[in-house]
Amino acid sequence: MIKNGSLNYRKPLSWGEYDPHRRGNTRIGMWAWLWQRISALAVIVLLGLHVTLTYRPLIQFLLLLAVTFHATLGLRVILLDFNIVGVKYHRALVGGLVGLGLVVMGLVWFSIY
Amino acid sequence: MAQTSGGVRNIKVFRYDPQQGGEGHFDSYVLNIQDETTTTILDVLLRIQREQDPTLSFRFACRVNMCGSCGMVINGKEGLACKTNVSHIPQGKEVTIRPLNHFPVIKDLVVDMEPFFKKYEEALPFYEPREETTEPAVIRPGSRERQDIGMATDCIACGCCVSSCTMCHYHEGYAGPAALNRAFTLLADSRDGLFEERLDRVLASCYNCRTEFNCTEVCPKRISGTRAIKYIQRLALKHIKAKPETIEAEQPAVAQPSCASEMAGSMAGNMAGNMDRRTFISQVGVGLLGTCLALGVGGVVGAAFVGPTRARTPRLWVPAASLSSIPVGDVTTIKINYETKNGLYTQQVAERVLVSRTGDEIICFKASCTHLGCMVKWDGNAGRFRCACHGGAFDRNGKVIAGPPPKPLDRYPFRVDSDHLLVEVG
Repeated sequence: MIKNGSLNYRKPLSWGEYDPHRRGNTRIGMWAWLWQRISALAVIVLLGLHVTLTYRPLIQFLLLLAVTFHATLGLRVILLDFNIVGVKYHRALVGGLVGLGLVVMGLVWFSIY
Repeated sequence: MAQTSGGVRNIKVFRYDPQQGGEGHFDSYVLNIQDETTTTILDVLLRIQREQDPTLSFRFACRVNMCGSCGMVINGKEGLACKTNVSHIPQGKEVTIRPLNHFPVIKDLVVDMEPFFKKYEEALPFYEPREETTEPAVIRPGSRERQDIGMATDCIACGCCVSSCTMCHYHEGYAGPAALNRAFTLLADSRDGLFEERLDRVLASCYNCRTEFNCTEVCPKRISGTRAIKYIQRLALKHIKAKPETIEAEQPAVAQPSCASEMAGSMAGNMAGNMDRRTFISQVGVGLLGTCLALGVGGVVGAAFVGPTRARTPRLWVPAASLSSIPVGDVTTIKINYETKNGLYTQQVAERVLVSRTGDEIICFKASCTHLGCMVKWDGNAGRFRCACHGGAFDRNGKVIAGPPPKPLDRYPFRVDSDHLLVEVG
């Protein structure tokens, strides 16, 4: 509670607090950001596993998946930062880049195995 | 449409009483709404206040999406109460209304906007001319500068963007999308005299943006805060490069101003010249970046797919038979099976090897005719290899003795390894 003269202000509401329908309104841009962070953590963990437990197809696959997500979503930010792709296409960029990344990843995976 | 446009709605409104304090809570109201397509959330709040609970507090003024007073969170999304219709919320779903994030709540839906305007002021949101002129500056409607700024000056400071931005919560000093958008409209303005100072003040804030586009999604005026922030970042990048040049370019314009309009003209010319060079540099940069990316991606993909087909396939030694099983003085037909990999394609190959063994000498022939590749068989009675297709015949050493074959039978390189005959394929 914040005192302001005679009035007691409530401390600012934070994002999602007392907010029943917030998650349904979380848009793709925010998911893109969140997934890049999650995939970054996944890359660290899986890279460790990949080094210690070598030649496990499951770990290799998950690592490749995490790297693909991280790289494509990072590419999205680069493209937007330098205005190579206009911000009005930001939604399409998420799906397009991740899709492209997954296709390339699939081809790489099947060429290896 | 008429059937589904009205009905009873559950309305949940966040309540906070400064006299009681605490965390606040939701109060539920039930409202019969005649036509949801023409009823705004503001109408709903006014009706609740008049009909059910006169203690409900909220802010509004213009009621036509102009003043930015009634910004609030409606069903998990920031918006203006006067612009959001009840019909925007799916049929039958409850309507939850709560105050904006990141601002102290004074009462119910009323928040203290002071932090917002403090940050707004820090970004120097006012126009200060570059120098005193008697003539109006000429900024053509079609100019790059005017088009870049676009409708970003339409901001009504409702605070929706700041409320939707998660980074405003995590970074104390972050100016927020609204202030940065305002700064952008002035930084992009060539008449502006406070460019350096404003850039100094807002640039650090720009790097708090995580490109989530929450502000863009909720803005009732359809302004993109993200775009403004990215623009300032690029502007700073160009400014560092262009700094010495701009100082030089400005000096002659200030030194010989024959008349004000001419000065404005020459300034505009200088600006245009700089813009052209910048555009050129940026386009070359984009081109180079694109080329590097294409080469990088192409290289990786090429190496993955074209590489294996181009690379020399390693020699493969396939065991054919044990030496003792091959009779001396005769020709034996042996089937061999092996796998070849060509790029992404793996092929199972079955071939016949004709092994001629006479004394110490072993010859391994390929069982395909050198004419058109039909299968060659050993005819023991005639002592020659025969091809059934066109009457080709080869002697025991593979030499052509009849028919159309242009050259002797092909041979496999072979070796004997601990009583095993191995032939080289591939």
